[in-house]
Amino acid sequence: MHELSLAHAIWTQVETEMGRLGGRLLGLDVVVGAFSGADAESLEFALGLMAGRSDWPGARVHLRTEPLAMACRGCGAEFEVAGTVLACPSCGSMDADPVRGTEVRLESLEVETDGGKTDTSG
Amino acid sequence: MAKRIRLDKSIVTASDRLAADLARRYDAAGVLVLNLMSSPGAGKTTLLEQTARALGSRFRMACIEGDLATDHDARRIAEAGMPCQLINTGGGCHLNAAQVGRALDAYRLDDLDILFIENVGNLVCPAAFDLGEHRRVVVSSTPEGDDKPAKYPVAFRLADCVVLNKIDLVRATDFSLEAFRGYVAGIKADLPILELSCKTGDGLAGWLEWVAAARAALGRRPAPAEE
Repeated sequence: MHELSLAHAIWTQVETEMGRLGGRLLGLDVVVGAFSGADAESLEFALGLMAGRSDWPGARVHLRTEPLAMACRGCGAEFEVAGTVLACPSCGSMDADPVRGTEVRLESLEVETDGGKTDTSG
Repeated sequence: MAKRIRLDKSIVTASDRLAADLARRYDAAGVLVLNLMSSPGAGKTTLLEQTARALGSRFRMACIEGDLATDHDARRIAEAGMPCQLINTGGGCHLNAAQVGRALDAYRLDDLDILFIENVGNLVCPAAFDLGEHRRVVVSSTPEGDDKPAKYPVAFRLADCVVLNKIDLVRATDFSLEAFRGYVAGIKADLPILELSCKTGDGLAGWLEWVAAARAALGRRPAPAEE
């Protein structure tokens, strides 16, 4: 429901990074958490619109959904949640904190740069 | 040459930034802000009416009311003694931080102990929009069915307290308290459930205590009655 504002924020971040990196944007990878409240399909659509109107209209938009992952406070186990019951499969405790799957992240950019300049960018 | 640049940056929207601004405004004034969300008809407005009557002499309270249309709920809350600013969202399915920021201008926040935000009746979108609040309250009611937590896990996961209203209708609706509690515990083990009826007043004391405790936890200024 707020995918357009998310897409806008992602794209602002992309432009900032590209300003720093230089070169041509070939693609971007975005991670959508299952508990982020964002709908991956709508977000992909909105990002496609942003890309199409940008300086890199051919940039590929790739979204990956990430399941909710929890860390058990009882035994320390980390587990992914399928469905709606968040109990730890190792010890049965329901006392756990989310460690992944609650946010939208810009994971990586694929950038084409000219020659050796890129070697220092990490 | 093509190169993959790993960023792993959490996305912060303009809306998140506005919410952070609101949180700073609340804290500068020392006012406790509670964001109430529920599906339509769960009883948010009745809960606020009861709260206005019960705590009106103890705390200086006000409300921001979000509704698609009409001023019915805002009038009810104001008539119960709590000043109320109405935001009619038209088609909007949730309150956003910019709307709340404008509505806040009607109040001198320094003069308030507690500000309630009654969100638009909807358990999907309001959960995704931070309004800078200190605590989130999800109101559910027995006629809606006992599996609401399972159907709207994001809203329940982000809540600090669940009010289960219309407890007087349990028998008429085949609602299973056990199932409801199980779903809530499965989503967030330590989430308190306050079972009450705004109509009969049963259990209402638990809610009033929760509000008072949240206010006390915020610290700072004493309520005027104690001055």
